[in-house]
Amino acid sequence: MSNFGDIWAILSAAFAQDAWALRNAMKSDATWILGFIVAIAGGWAIAMIYKRVPLLDRHLERTFMVMSYLAIALIIFWGVVDRFVFSNQQPWSTTIPPLLFMIMAWFGATYNVRLRSHLSFMEFRSRLSRKGQMACLCLDNVLWMAFAVIVIVTTARAAALSASNFQIVLGTDNVMQWWFLLTAPFAFLLMAARVVENVYEDLENYRNGNELIQKTVIGGGE
Amino acid sequence: MMTDGTVITLISIGVTLLFMLGVPVFLVIASWVVGCSFVLGLTLDNMGAELLNVFNKGFALLAMPLFILTGDLINKSGIARRLSDFAYACLGWIRGGLAMASLGACGLFAAISGSNSATTATIGSMLHPEMVKGGYDERFSAATAAAGGTVGIIIPPSIIFIVYGFLLNLPISDLFVAGILPGALMVIGMQLACWLICWANGWGYLIQLKLNRVLKTAFGAWLGFFAIGLVLWGIYTGKFSPTEAAGVTVGFCIIAGLLSWFANHVLHMDMARDLSEKSYAEMLVVEGFTLREIPGITMRSAQITGVLAPLIAISVVMQQILSLLGAQAVITDFLTSMGGYYPVLLASMAIVFVSGMVLESLPVTIILAPILAPIAASVGVDPIHFSVIFLVGASIGFITPPYGLNLYVASGVTGVPYFRLLRYTVPYLAALIGVWLLVAVTPELALALLPNR
Repeated sequence: MSNFGDIWAILSAAFAQDAWALRNAMKSDATWILGFIVAIAGGWAIAMIYKRVPLLDRHLERTFMVMSYLAIALIIFWGVVDRFVFSNQQPWSTTIPPLLFMIMAWFGATYNVRLRSHLSFMEFRSRLSRKGQMACLCLDNVLWMAFAVIVIVTTARAAALSASNFQIVLGTDNVMQWWFLLTAPFAFLLMAARVVENVYEDLENYRNGNELIQKTVIGGGE
Repeated sequence: MMTDGTVITLISIGVTLLFMLGVPVFLVIASWVVGCSFVLGLTLDNMGAELLNVFNKGFALLAMPLFILTGDLINKSGIARRLSDFAYACLGWIRGGLAMASLGACGLFAAISGSNSATTATIGSMLHPEMVKGGYDERFSAATAAAGGTVGIIIPPSIIFIVYGFLLNLPISDLFVAGILPGALMVIGMQLACWLICWANGWGYLIQLKLNRVLKTAFGAWLGFFAIGLVLWGIYTGKFSPTEAAGVTVGFCIIAGLLSWFANHVLHMDMARDLSEKSYAEMLVVEGFTLREIPGITMRSAQITGVLAPLIAISVVMQQILSLLGAQAVITDFLTSMGGYYPVLLASMAIVFVSGMVLESLPVTIILAPILAPIAASVGVDPIHFSVIFLVGASIGFITPPYGLNLYVASGVTGVPYFRLLRYTVPYLAALIGVWLLVAVTPELALALLPNR
């Protein structure tokens, strides 16, 4: 089948909500082409939405991060109270928090791309010429985008595999694992959007003669 | 035609260049993983699946975000302030007492939180203005905050111990207990160095040692002591796992913060008043925070976790590839060819020290611990003892240039330029290296509190 046919097979399986067909369709190399299109076009589209709806720009990832963080703390805290006070423990109290941690981690990674606060060794970069700094920022953006494409494709495949196997979260009766796993490709789609935003910002700073590399503090917020 | 080994060497050189160019460490490791996967013919799906599974595999890893949150909660609630007041009341009568109290407060803060940068940022921002007012050199004050933060990852709970235990499948509660004495020694060692410098320079004014003040501040810090006791008791007695201890501490800090704010609000207490003017009843509560402030506090912790957790995930994939390449065997052969127990230990320490100069402790741990720990074990070093040696070395990396994270954090919170505070970290560095060597040659320091080892 041609790449176009393979992509069509993926899309039709997704729209039909047929996990088994989707999993098989995603085995083809066309998934990479589709992943690339989704990351670039989807990232650009979300970046445009961010521009028009600043509330989303500020709060989308943050909401996911804070909600999952507090849910983890609450579940574990209550798990201990439940055990000590009521001699009881919900079986999912140790299986849902790691999945929430995964959500928090990848949305957190995305948010830090926007803030450019991922750990890095900035000593040489900050001493480079303006053109050199701009080249480094472009390099960062290209690498983030390439990595986003890879992770969107591979984690979407993993989620489809999980859905096709009807994997249930341990300790629950009907909570499907893929509900959680699907947040990873979504987080990386948002990362692609953040990369697009960063590209625009870098170009603007370069043209306007603004400082290109700003000092960020991990955990320092916006 | 190039061999796989040559291509992988070229990829490794390439990613080192990326690192030097300031590309985020996460991307550097990811690029290496993707490059090596292509060379070795591995599917990238493995990486995608692993990036999801890393979090699913370990309930223990959850302690990391929770202890980060604990640090932010005790800072925001005012519990950290009370701990530092207590440290000052105890040590203020000695020359350089405020600086020594700052180090002591770092130790106390570290016993609830588990992060070096949180310790430096919290204590530095709280005590630096007072130290400058008290006649200390501002560069020395900033260096003290940076050095004090190193104990953040040694005194339990510790985020890096959690990561280390997770990666090497060691009991995290044992690692925590093993860190108690070396962490306390680090604080004492740095306090000695601090006292010597302050004595030589005549820095700091002295306050009278008053039992009433010590008792009052100790009483005021009861929430902090309770949290420390809760963590240590829970882990030491096995009542709950480190992750549960972290969850309980977060819950405790949130309840204490909310109730304190409520009590302040209802009773119209003035928390800004000086300690001496407050009654014992007023010292019962701290500033606290409102329910509305919790998302903001959580957000800060989430941002830090959003840097650390992805790094751990990608590093697990890197480890798998390193194993496939047999890198561990090569380094093992090299190190074991050096001889027995002490040469291997010293070589490992040298590797950790040099790596700590250019890398943050987390990548150092993730990359080197799985390689060095089995080698150390093969020459008879106890794994728990080695973990402490390794992590004390990694913590020293926080104040070694060019990449000393605590130096950046201290510079950020105090406003003292990075390069200006470097000179004043040297005495602390010497003290920490002294303690490190002592811990390395005295396994009992790490194992004494673990009777089963």
